[in-house]
Amino acid sequence: MIAAHVLPAWALARRELSSYFRQPAGWIIIALFLLLTGVVFAFAVLVPARPASMRAFFDASGWLLLPVAPAISMRLLAEEFRTGTVEGLMTAPISTPALVLGKFFGSVLFLLAMLVPTLVYPITLMAVSDPVPDMGPIVAGYVCLLLLGVLYLSLGLLASSATANATLAFIVTLFLILALLLVGTLGRQVDGVLREVIFAMSLPPRLSDFAKGVIATNHIAWFVTLSVLACGVAMMFVQWRRWR
Amino acid sequence: MVVVDDVHKWFGSVHAVRGVSFELPAGTVAGLLGHNGAGKSTTIRMIAGYITPDAGRVSIAGHDMTDERLQATRQMGYLPESTPLYPEMPTKDYLEFRGRLFGLSREMRRKRVDEVIERCWLKDVRLRRVGQLSKGYKQRVGLAASLLHEPRVLLLDEPTSGLDPSQVRETRDLVRELAQDRTMLISSHVLPEVEAICNRVIIFAGGKVRAAGGVQELARSTGAAGYVVEVKLDASRAGDGGAALLALREAMMRVGGVSDVNMTTLQEGWTRVEVQASRESGDLREAIARAVPSGGVVRELRPKAASLESIFMRVLEQAAREEGTLAPGAGKQSIADAAANNTRASDGGGA
Repeated sequence: MIAAHVLPAWALARRELSSYFRQPAGWIIIALFLLLTGVVFAFAVLVPARPASMRAFFDASGWLLLPVAPAISMRLLAEEFRTGTVEGLMTAPISTPALVLGKFFGSVLFLLAMLVPTLVYPITLMAVSDPVPDMGPIVAGYVCLLLLGVLYLSLGLLASSATANATLAFIVTLFLILALLLVGTLGRQVDGVLREVIFAMSLPPRLSDFAKGVIATNHIAWFVTLSVLACGVAMMFVQWRRWR
Repeated sequence: MVVVDDVHKWFGSVHAVRGVSFELPAGTVAGLLGHNGAGKSTTIRMIAGYITPDAGRVSIAGHDMTDERLQATRQMGYLPESTPLYPEMPTKDYLEFRGRLFGLSREMRRKRVDEVIERCWLKDVRLRRVGQLSKGYKQRVGLAASLLHEPRVLLLDEPTSGLDPSQVRETRDLVRELAQDRTMLISSHVLPEVEAICNRVIIFAGGKVRAAGGVQELARSTGAAGYVVEVKLDASRAGDGGAALLALREAMMRVGGVSDVNMTTLQEGWTRVEVQASRESGDLREAIARAVPSGGVVRELRPKAASLESIFMRVLEQAAREEGTLAPGAGKQSIADAAANNTRASDGGGA
């Protein structure tokens, strides 16, 4: 019974991933990401006579995800709605949650394909630096980058499920991410429960914990919860199209 | 095999589909006719499970489309209008993907993909990207994809719209071949196409089924009987040609059951006479032959087969009259639209 949902979802995820590499956009996104992180690595990480730290790379990658993640996710469902291919999916034996998750995992796989080559940086660092860099912050940095990427992609999926316009999906995703990044400043202006809620939604404090090398379960739970929520709302939007 | 039971759909305040019911037993090849906006596409999308009906039920091979959608869609192949495909994918990869989506095992997938490529004449383009293919090829890729899982029911929404005449012929040949061993529902406004492929016709207007049945059956219930006579009158006897024709017309009109007579002058003195008669009057061929004045020669006398087109127009006129009682003037407009659509459609398809 599970297989009946997993196999079609896997078919979708595979198709999604291969579709990134069948178009120039996928290659360009990866190339630009690696180029910019490579520059950061060469000039801000590989600095002689300083303790080895990947901090600059993770900071830069986090910022780079801001435009890159929405670019990856914007077409996920919006393009299907625009061209009508969604009709072929919604009339196939695949449940709406499996459809949405299949699409989502396709984009997560692309994110992984983009991050995996950056493992060259810590390996290089380990080869050239003496003493060997502390592994804790590097692992925490990658966990954080992955959680951040997945969260951004899920917000992108949500935006993409609500419109047939990929550009609009991009902008809405960017707006949602910026809201999580900037909501903290608003929190300082108010008191009471609202302040609590706003700080609970705020992203930067969690990032700085990860940057210190702390992998805290409550932060992981926060990322996962928000990502699951975003996917859930995306499922509702897709299901709603049957009723419209 | 397909049951549609009192299905309704509203888009906002527009009641697009108003209580449609029909049943397609196994082996039926049904044509869904109607002008644009009659609710054909919406109905077919509800049968395919893309849109959920606001009221009523659809079931395919005994599976309810709302409660058991996954089981129902496994029995169904669907080609949406204008055949949306992923342009960046090569034909074979696209078919592989669809096979996976329908849960076919690896061996099954390989076998079926080869089979549908063969059957839909796609061998030459199996490695080409779908986006680079001509419209006719794209249509066949869509058809091939809908056949992968060997569905018992095939739904085709406007399978030949937007194709050039040779592509129309190829697609139609393929569809006719496919129709031999499955239940099919084809929406179309190309009447000759439906006439050539379907053994049952469902005529839509204003979101309702206005007529349904076999072409012959519909002809009996809606059409008047008609005869075509080609005759050469003996000019020496009648003197003036015009007077002879007038006499012929009067003679024909005197035959019991005849309601109208139209005459067309052909070459070399021949005249084609089209005789309209009521359905109840029985076979009038002998009476008509006797009505030809002496000295006249008959080279042809045959009952006119009621064409699907005449049935379609009659049904739409009737529907418009019914609607007209609610909204005066609206009916007239829709007949004109339907006629215009119809002429355009048969121009494209008949070539």
